[in-house]
Formats: sequence, C-alpha cells, structure tokens
Amino acid sequence: MNFNILLGLSAVVCLVGLIIRLSIWFSQEIRPSTVPTTPVGARLAEALKGVFGALFSAKIFLIIKSVFVDLLFQKRIFDKNSLRWVAHTFIFTGFMLLLLMHAMDSVVTETLFKGYQSTLNPYLFLRDLFGVMVLAGVAIAAFRRITLKPQRLKTYASDWAALVFLGVIILSGMLLEGAKIASPSKYQNMVDEYASFSSEEDAKALEAFWVQENGLVSPNVKLPPAPELVAKGREINGDSCIECHVSYRNAFASFTMAKITPLFFSILGDSATVTLFWYLHIISCLAFLAWLPFSKMFHILAAPVSLIVKSVTGDQVREPSNILTHQMIGLSACTHCGTCSLECSSNMFFESFKNDFILPSEKVQYLKKIAAGKENDPVILKRMQQGLYVCTSCDRCTTVCPSGINLKELFVSARYALLGQGMPETAMLSHFSFPLALAQNFVDDHLQALKKVTDIFKKSFQHLADMALPMTLCKSKDIGNTTFRGCFSCQRCTNICPVVRSYDNPAEALGMLPHQIMFSLGIGNTELAMGAQMIWSCSTCYLCQEHCPNQVELCDIFYTLKNGALNKIEAGANS
Amino acid sequence: MKYAFFQGCNIPIRIQQYATSTTAVFAKFGIELEVIPEFNCCGYPVRNVDEKAYILPSVRNLAIAEKRGMDILVICNCCFASLQKAKNVMGKNPQLMAEMNAILAKEGLHYSGAAAVKHYLTVLYEEVGLEKIKAQRVNAFTDLNIAVIQGCHILRPREITRFDDSFVPRITEELLQATGVKSLDWRGKLECCGAALEGINNDLSHKLLKEKITGAQASGADYITPICSYCHLQFDTTQKNILAVASGEKLLPVLLFPQLLGLCLGIDEQTLGIATNSTIAIEDIQRLKSLLGPPVLEKKKKKAKVAAL
Repeated sequence: MNFNILLGLSAVVCLVGLIIRLSIWFSQEIRPSTVPTTPVGARLAEALKGVFGALFSAKIFLIIKSVFVDLLFQKRIFDKNSLRWVAHTFIFTGFMLLLLMHAMDSVVTETLFKGYQSTLNPYLFLRDLFGVMVLAGVAIAAFRRITLKPQRLKTYASDWAALVFLGVIILSGMLLEGAKIASPSKYQNMVDEYASFSSEEDAKALEAFWVQENGLVSPNVKLPPAPELVAKGREINGDSCIECHVSYRNAFASFTMAKITPLFFSILGDSATVTLFWYLHIISCLAFLAWLPFSKMFHILAAPVSLIVKSVTGDQVREPSNILTHQMIGLSACTHCGTCSLECSSNMFFESFKNDFILPSEKVQYLKKIAAGKENDPVILKRMQQGLYVCTSCDRCTTVCPSGINLKELFVSARYALLGQGMPETAMLSHFSFPLALAQNFVDDHLQALKKVTDIFKKSFQHLADMALPMTLCKSKDIGNTTFRGCFSCQRCTNICPVVRSYDNPAEALGMLPHQIMFSLGIGNTELAMGAQMIWSCSTCYLCQEHCPNQVELCDIFYTLKNGALNKIEAGANS
Repeated sequence: MKYAFFQGCNIPIRIQQYATSTTAVFAKFGIELEVIPEFNCCGYPVRNVDEKAYILPSVRNLAIAEKRGMDILVICNCCFASLQKAKNVMGKNPQLMAEMNAILAKEGLHYSGAAAVKHYLTVLYEEVGLEKIKAQRVNAFTDLNIAVIQGCHILRPREITRFDDSFVPRITEELLQATGVKSLDWRGKLECCGAALEGINNDLSHKLLKEKITGAQASGADYITPICSYCHLQFDTTQKNILAVASGEKLLPVLLFPQLLGLCLGIDEQTLGIATNSTIAIEDIQRLKSLLGPPVLEKKKKKAKVAAL
C-alpha cells in the first residue's frame, strides 16, 4: 500500500481520537449530586473565558515559565527522582528530535538547515544518538517497572504496550538502516545513480573499501579485501563520495545492526529484507500515531495542559464548571506512572485490605470509567468507595504527581459522588473522616452518607432499651481482650468519662454506659455491647482505662467492639 | 545527634509550622531531624475499622528507621501512641510479628524492634535537659498565661506510651516554665479536644472542644498550647469553623510549644511560622514579642536557693 494512504489513514484515526478525548474534557465529570450540572457548551465557553483571561493578563508569564520549567525541563519529575527524569527526558527529547529532524525532515530540517542530507553528519550521527536515547529511556522505564513491583507499583498491559511500541519504532528504524548499510543491491543502486568509474578496477576498489569501512556485505568481494585495493577505494571514496555520504560508522547503532541484518539476506534476499524492515518501521510509527489518542500517550497533550493550568491557578479553580473540566483534563493526563502510589501514605492499608483502589494510581484508572458512566458493577463500585475513603488526606499524591493532576480534588469529589449513590461506607466511622470535616467540603453530603451508616449500625444490633426479658448469663466470648473480667462495676469509668458528662441523659443518648458495656461482656452478651452507641461516641481519651482500679482496658475493648461491629455490618451488607 | 523525623500525615500538609519550628529549635541544640520520605501513615486513622491494619503501618515505619539505624522522633501524639503501640504488640505477639515481617520482606524491610520511638518533648527534657535549654535562652516571657492541653494519646494508656506520669505530668510543665510563661492549672489540661469524633459525631466533638476553649479562657489563658497535632487542628481550624462571632464568642489563639521556646532561643517568628497559625493576628505577635525580655530573674533566684541550702 502507498505510504501516503497509510499516513492519511492513521492521521484520520488520530484526529478522530483527539476529538473524542478533547470532547470528554467538556462532557464528562465526577460530581456529587449537590454540585450543579453544566451543559457542554457552557463548560466550553467558561473554559475558553478562563484561557483568554490567563493569556491576556500577567499570568502569561506564569504560562511561559511553566512551558520551560514544567514542560521542557520537567522539573516535577526531576525533583522526585533523577533516574526517572533521565528516562523520561531521554524518551521525550530523543523522540521529539527524531520526529522533527528525521520523520519530518522534508518540512523541518531542510527548511532550517541549508545543505541537509540524511547521509551527512551531524544528521547521520544524531539520528542514531536520538534513537539510542529513546531506547535507553525505555530500558530504564522497564527496569523501574520491574524493580518497583514490590513497592506496589502496578503495571498494566497498556503500560508495557507503550514501552514496546517505542522500542519497536526505534529498533525497526535501526534494523532498516542496518539492512540498507549491508545491502549489496542498495549499494548497487547508489553506484548506478551517482558513480561513473573510469575502470572496472576502480569499481572493485570502491566496493572493497565499502565492505571494509562502511559495513557493506557484497558477494563480489572476498574477505578480507586486499589492503591495496581498500587503499585505492579510500582514495576514490574521498574524491567522489564523501561530500554527500560520510562513513556509516557514524551511524553507530545502525552500523552494529548491519552485522545482524545479513542473516535475513540469506533467507529473504537483501532487497526484501530492506522492504520488510521499512514496513515494520513505517507501520509501527503510523500505528503509534493512530493509537496515541486512545492510550495513555494522550498525556503528550493533556499533561502540558494540566501542568499549565496548575501553574496558573495553583489548583484554586473557582468556577464550578471549570472544576469539572479541570478534573477531566487531569484524568486524561495520567500516565499510570505510579508515583502517587509509591508515595501514598495509605500504602500499608492496601496491604491489609487487599484493595487496589486504595492506591491513587489505580483509583484514577477506574475514575475514568466512572466519569464515562461505564462502571456499574456494584461490587467494584463498593471497593472503589472503600478505596476512596481509606485515605489519610495527606495530599502527597497531589504534591508528587508529575502531570500536575489535582488528585485530592478528584478523590474528594469522587468520594461524595459515590457515597451519594446510597451504598453505606463503614470506613466513614473512622478518623479518615477527620480531615474531611476539617476542610468543610461537601458538608451535607457527608452528613447524609454518615446517617446511612449509623442507621445500619442501629438496625444491625439489639439495644438494651428494647429488651423486655431479663438478661441471662452465658459463657463470655473471647474478643481478644479478657480484661473486662476484672470489672467489679465500681463505675469509676462512667464517672470519669467526658462523653457521659456531656449528656443530660447519657444512658439514653449512649445506649449503654462504659461500665454497663463491661458488664454486658462479662455476662457473655457481646452483641449487646457491640450495638451500644457509646462505642462510636467514645472520644478515645483513655481516661476510663487509666482510672480503672482493676486494669480493665476499656478504651482498647471499645476499639475491638468497633472493629467487630463494622465487620458484622459488612458481612450483613455482603450477604 | 540525628533522628528520623516522623511528621505523620497532618503536619506536612496542614501544620508545616510545627515541623519547621521544631527543626529550628532542635538545630539550636545540635540535633538534626532528618525527614524520611518513605515513612507512611502511622495507622491511627484506621483503628476503628481494623486493629491489624492499624498496627502494620507503624511496624513498617519502625522497620524503615531500623534499616537506617536511626531512632524515631515524633511530634504528633497520635502517631507517637501508634508507634509505641506497634512496638508493644510486636513484643507480645511473635506470631503477628512474623506475619507482618513477611509482608515487609517483599520490599526488603524487617522489624526486630531496634528503633526507639521518642516524643520530641522527651528528647528536649531528657537529652537536651532543662539546664542547657535555660542556658541557651536569649529571652524569656513575663506575664504570659498559657493553657497547655497535653493531648490524650501522649499520656494514656501509660503502659504503652511511657511518656510521663499520666496523672501529674511534669515534662511539659517544666519545659513550659523554662520559657518563663505561666502554665495555668485548668480543667481541660489532661482531657480530650474532641478530634477523634470530628467527622463521625460533630456535635459531640464540638461540645468537647468548646468546653476546652471556654475552660481555658475562664482560667485566664492568653493562648492555648496544644501538644498534639490533632488538638492543634481542633483549636486552630475547627474552632474557627464553629465560632459564632455574631453571638460574641471570642477566639482563643493557638501557640505551639516549639514556637514559644523558639522565641526564647532567639529564633525569628518567620522561621517559627507563628503567623501561619490561623488563630493568631499580627497584633498578637507584636504583643508576644513585647513580653520577651532577658532571662535574668530566674538565675538569681536559683543562686539564692543554692546559697540558702
């Protein structure tokens, strides 16, 4: 097939993909139900207003600074990890320069540099240098993904695909060049086109020199070629060839490949080998172009936008519709590099709960589906909800994200968007709620969702006030802490408790008082103890435990009861 | 002298001034606090949900310090208690220790209990010592009334935290006195700020907080000095969230202990991040500085005492 047709096709696919991805910026969202919705047109208009507002104000300097510091130098990666920065810079710089100098040479290089010839230095050398840079970057990236696996770095097939794609593009290019270097027919074509020999001897001499020096593999030259013939060839080469074609040794990587490619010649013939690698190179490049907008490689476009928005707004986006657009730009800028998960303060909770969604990088992947409305499996959504909630709000993910994604905003919005769908979240009854209450975002959503869990808690257990029959004694159960057996109901705990003191009618408000809970455990009624509101009203100040004359570990026991109560609620929700 | 500086999750993002002021104060005494980026959450937030999940993160943090051959210095009470609890549980439960070490082994870590956990006040009190602190002062406060709130999880349960006498704590008191302030005897000193209930039962949490604010104000406090980062956030953030200015409620400003001590050691208020406390106004800082003077009086008294003996 014609190259131009292939190029046209992949360009069209790429363009369609870009339009789809860009339209998502303005059409999808992660929105708690209390946040008003905005039509696509209004969101686009609001975003453009913001863009022009920034372009025609002093903020333009922030943008210019961001282009150099964040986009070209990639300072955010540099600050975190120098090896990663080397990998990314090698891939980014090598690939971009190859794209401009080599792939688009007729448009870019020829215009900028008079006398450009791909067979002359520095271009011949640089092409290989840039290629080797990309390969080295890909190798470091692959090494990083393999060695950081125990540190909870998740790698999907799509992550490998991106690395393999880049590797194949560069390697096939080098193989193609290597095949051309070694190919006798290519050499013959060149001679036919450019050379006119005064004698047969001269032709032989030049060929011998090219075999010796330029990697040519020729059936006409016996190895090793005679030194005097090579010397003569060198003279002819110096007089006639070198002006337009420097030694292939400058293309150091391809020159090495030229030692491998002859193996294919014996099977396919040299012309066919060149054609094969040409197809491999061209098709991998064009497929990459077509694949780009549908993959994480879209970050080439989205990450710069995300970083510039961050530098201009400092993550303080005010306009509600722009917050939603900013979210979607952020989601599309994620490269699944895993930096957030490596630094996530909740990483050990991931080990305990075995829930991938506790890791921020994994949340982001599924948030894309949730934003698109494509994720409706209640089991997955429930795990996602837990993953979103088991977060210490330390904001490290947002601080370290190389793409500058405002992850904390995304996660908080997603948290309340999911909670609003009605599934109760038991982790709400933990100190993960503390920073959320402090920040006072989505206050009403929080209280509504909290009520769902507390209602379930009330329904799941029997309560002292509802009991008609006198309580009976049964064997006390092992709850992992047996100190309650030492309780002799002196009520010191209840009397010292600042929570009990806070209520006019504590027995009613708290269900049971601390000493009653110990009594209940003593007579073997663990369920009743677990259902007391007191355990969720405990301020964990440990005064009761400290003041107990008989070393009953009340506060620790309350924790055990809380763990047990939540387990029971979860078991009930799953059955 | 160098410690692995454990800041937890709240301090680096919400109370940076606690870290910067502590670092500046310790630098005065030649103690370096090294920030360890690998540290994760202490586990405290998950304790209501799962006890094992609560222990594991602290075991990992201890293993990280152990690998570096360092002891941990903590400034948050809840982190402190979690780390101490983990050490205690590991000591009592070798089976759980093996189970957790198997998880840690994946990333090349191992817990054996070699790293010690120290609260920054303990290090100031025991390793630096009151004498050295007093000798280093360039200033001391006069006429400044401070209501300190110790924070529950530094004191209790005493067999886990092993910080001080849990009924009559002395370390904080004596360190405060070294700055020349008057540490008030007030009701809320050893009690709960309500943080553990914030977001779970806001009404109760705020009731406990307000009780402390009015209690400190009634006893004549110019400032409240929270030791725990959770207490700090309750007084410095939640207080402002719930304050009913319209009904004439007065703000109780917050000053952290290293900020107080730092001013006495001649560290400037920018380094100490005093203006970062959201409850402190510029006038407060001016007034604070006006209360600073050369720390001569106390020395004389001491000499007199020695002479009398």
